[in-house]
Amino acid sequence: MLDNAAPAITGDETLATLLVRNATQYGSEIAMREKARGIWQEMNWADYTQEVIHCAAGLDALGIRPEQAMLILGDNRIRLYAGMAAMGLLRAYAMPTYTGATLEELQHFVGEVPVAAALAEDQEQVDKVLDLRQAGADIAHIIYDQDRGLTDYDAPGLLSWEGLLEKGAAALAADPDLRDRLINASGPDDPAVFMHSSGTTGKPKGIVLSQKNVISAARNGHAGGAFNENEEVLAYLPMAWVGDYALTVAAAIAYRFTVNVPERQETVLRDMCETAPTFYLAAPRSWDNILTTIQVGIENSTWLKKKLYHFFMDRAVAAERRKLNDKSGGAMEPLMRLFGEWIIFGPIKDQFGLSHLDNAFTGGEAIGEDTFVFYRALGIKLRQLYGQTENSAFNAIQAPDEVNLHTVGRPLPGVEVKITEDGEILLKADSVFAGYHNNPKATAETLKDGWIYSGDAGYLEDNGQLVVLGRLSEVVYTAGGERYVPNYIENRLKFSPYIKDAAVVGAGRDQLTAMVCVDAEAVGHWAEVHGVPYVSYADLSQRPEVAELLNEAFARVNKALQEPLQLHRYVSLHKEFDPDDGEITRTRKLRRKVVEERYANVIAALYDGSEQVHVQAIVAYETGEKGVVERTLAIRKV
Amino acid sequence: MFYRQSGVRHNSYSSDRDLFPIPADRYALWFFLALGIAAPWLIDGLYLNSYMLPWLLWTAAALGLNLLTGWAGQMHLGYAAVMAVGAYSTVHAVRFGIPWEFALLIGGLSSSVIGSLFAVAALRVKGLYLAITTLAMQFVMDWVLNHSPAISGGSHASLQSPTFALLGQDITSDAGLYYVALGWCVLVTIFLLNMRRTGLGRALVAVREKDFAAAILGVNSFYYKIIAFATSSFIAGVTGAILVATFYFLASPEQFSVNVSIQVLAMVIVGGLASIIGSYFGAALILLMPGIVNGLFAGFADMVGLQFGPETLAHIPNAAYGALIVIFLMVEPMGLGKIYGNIRDYLLVWPFDQMKK
Repeated sequence: MLDNAAPAITGDETLATLLVRNATQYGSEIAMREKARGIWQEMNWADYTQEVIHCAAGLDALGIRPEQAMLILGDNRIRLYAGMAAMGLLRAYAMPTYTGATLEELQHFVGEVPVAAALAEDQEQVDKVLDLRQAGADIAHIIYDQDRGLTDYDAPGLLSWEGLLEKGAAALAADPDLRDRLINASGPDDPAVFMHSSGTTGKPKGIVLSQKNVISAARNGHAGGAFNENEEVLAYLPMAWVGDYALTVAAAIAYRFTVNVPERQETVLRDMCETAPTFYLAAPRSWDNILTTIQVGIENSTWLKKKLYHFFMDRAVAAERRKLNDKSGGAMEPLMRLFGEWIIFGPIKDQFGLSHLDNAFTGGEAIGEDTFVFYRALGIKLRQLYGQTENSAFNAIQAPDEVNLHTVGRPLPGVEVKITEDGEILLKADSVFAGYHNNPKATAETLKDGWIYSGDAGYLEDNGQLVVLGRLSEVVYTAGGERYVPNYIENRLKFSPYIKDAAVVGAGRDQLTAMVCVDAEAVGHWAEVHGVPYVSYADLSQRPEVAELLNEAFARVNKALQEPLQLHRYVSLHKEFDPDDGEITRTRKLRRKVVEERYANVIAALYDGSEQVHVQAIVAYETGEKGVVERTLAIRKV
Repeated sequence: MFYRQSGVRHNSYSSDRDLFPIPADRYALWFFLALGIAAPWLIDGLYLNSYMLPWLLWTAAALGLNLLTGWAGQMHLGYAAVMAVGAYSTVHAVRFGIPWEFALLIGGLSSSVIGSLFAVAALRVKGLYLAITTLAMQFVMDWVLNHSPAISGGSHASLQSPTFALLGQDITSDAGLYYVALGWCVLVTIFLLNMRRTGLGRALVAVREKDFAAAILGVNSFYYKIIAFATSSFIAGVTGAILVATFYFLASPEQFSVNVSIQVLAMVIVGGLASIIGSYFGAALILLMPGIVNGLFAGFADMVGLQFGPETLAHIPNAAYGALIVIFLMVEPMGLGKIYGNIRDYLLVWPFDQMKK
């Protein structure tokens, strides 16, 4: 078929056939862009497909067989993406990992399936694989992308990406049928990627998503209006997060996105500006960060600019709030919008690379009303997306002009939703996985009759909008029998720009209390502006002035809570929760058990009426060393 | 507010070196160029040829001097003398029967040769000493012009310029003469815009900052000083010739006297050293401001009903004009070009106060 309109995706394609389709019909369109040595190096679909096939042939020549796995270690890189796609061709598992993953976490992954190879970004990641080997893992081949610092390495099985492609090219030249065999080897039910659950409770569970899963998820997302063809996207999400795979691999191949890979993690903001993506998915945390940066920038700005900003922004925010409450605005509103767009909103969006955005999403957690309304006021049609790894990231999205804060929108076409009597959300779709890897017990708990038990509590409104309340397993009761979801209250606390993380305790107690971590950047800036001296994060967190700031945030949250669920006492912790310390997951979800264990004495002090508590915390540094921090924390009443 | 920078990305090094990577700058450039081309229909012929045309030509002259003073850092107080060399050579060449196209080249080249002679001196002397050396050149040239009837026709004589013609076409209309000036000014601007991003431009800057440090880096400062003098003098010579051919219509020594040299230097300094747009502003301020201030002052005096003697009327605008230059330089010692740059930066980061980290 050579006409220009792409045939609709049915979900029965494979990554290989889609790649070949892109290479033959849209060969000159840009598939990938990567910032390297100061400029965006472009790769079109023909070259990218060629690279994937050569890589697959090379891996095949190395002896990678179906059911074997390859670890993917590193930040987003074109070659790592190509390697992931190549594993799909070989019916083998591509297993992406978080860059910051510790040795123990990796060892757990290696124990699940025979890991035959590792694709590492650079020397740092190669070292990690060598550590794994030393710890007993049998990883035969290590392929690396960047050779800096690796010239003197003589570990067996170490191979450069170029070397791998050469092997592939040689194999393809020697066997003319190999190319067709590679393209046709995989079917829709063969694996696309080996993901892991986030592991808020216990060890991460292995989740194999088949090609049918990920491609139908892309199809559902497209049908539901989440994205169009040829979107411009920025590949900055961690590769081990399902959202990244679903967008920058599955949807990108199915709907021919141009994927822009930033130079480094530190340059994402700048690269974002140069890319000006048309589609952007970010966690509420990232949206909050951009909001904080904008507000801090305005606060540092001059009198005139500040006045103009507040003049237009306050009105636009008020207009958005009216819209949320289904009230109509005044006659002046469109005019204000027009001028505001020209004078304030347009330039701000432009500075952050948000000006070309057609589809903006927040997902993973609830988003704060202030943040949400701010972006709508800025003219960005921010929408909520509800998804999970087990369902290849796409469950439900909001429509652009049908927005409520408390709903996550309608289920996507192709996704059936049912609510159990307990209030649990059940989902059924082509994109739902076939079961946890080698974990029949967990599978049986989650998958029943093709319905996946999401573990989320929620309900469907009469107009078909889905409401997600929180994790079902997190619903707990106070001593007085009050039912609540800690996460729900924590999110409300975190809506304050000054609170980065929070842990609410109170299960089985007579009242609720909280531990919070202040946001170093926002509070630090506030302290600077208000002349509050401090020497370190720990010092800042204990300042009485900061406590007043936190009091305001708590008072606001308490106002929205029923009497028995109000927070009574809190402590501002001396360090932020850190995934390296195991307190939060790499996607920044709270590991409640770990936190409650580690801060047991703080929690005890919160309830025994003492004024302060002495803590000794073990800190894991990035080098792997451990240190001890001692502090006296003040316990404050709301 | 006007600048939109998101989505500006480069996928090759040549695009990374674009002169105007931000679209708003390009639009502004095209807009002003279109305005310049449409000027004969927009502006009355008198204003076109007594304001726009000399402004463009003096801008070209200022750009030539800016190349030497702004980029290469060489002081020059005899720029008008170099222009005179070009003007007289060209007019003589045309009178000899050489077509204008070649005559202009001859004028430029003879200026180049004379101007480069001073580069040799510049190798030995710097700063104020170079200024005095070039000032000496100015006086030598004045003397030569006044005392060589073969060149100037005598001490108070002037040399009639033949009718200007290009490609065999006589150019006499207002619009035609204006377009010649516009074309030359645009040509010089394009040359300088591009020179900034070449090895030559960077070498000149290196010589300016510290010539022996540049020599240690392997930049032959003698060579680059000569290049700077020769190029700048070439621009001066051609500009002088076009000035005579399209504006004065005759060449006389007082058109290229020492105060003209000082004026061009003032244009460069008020406009901003090593600033292209600054040269446009500088030429406009030095050239057009006296007339405008005069008009404003006379109008103001009329309105208020004050009666001034002709002496006062002649001197107060001059004082105001001088004060204006002092104020501009006090506000921004780097010149008008820098003021423009500050405004542009202000709008670039709008509504923030600085680039985000």
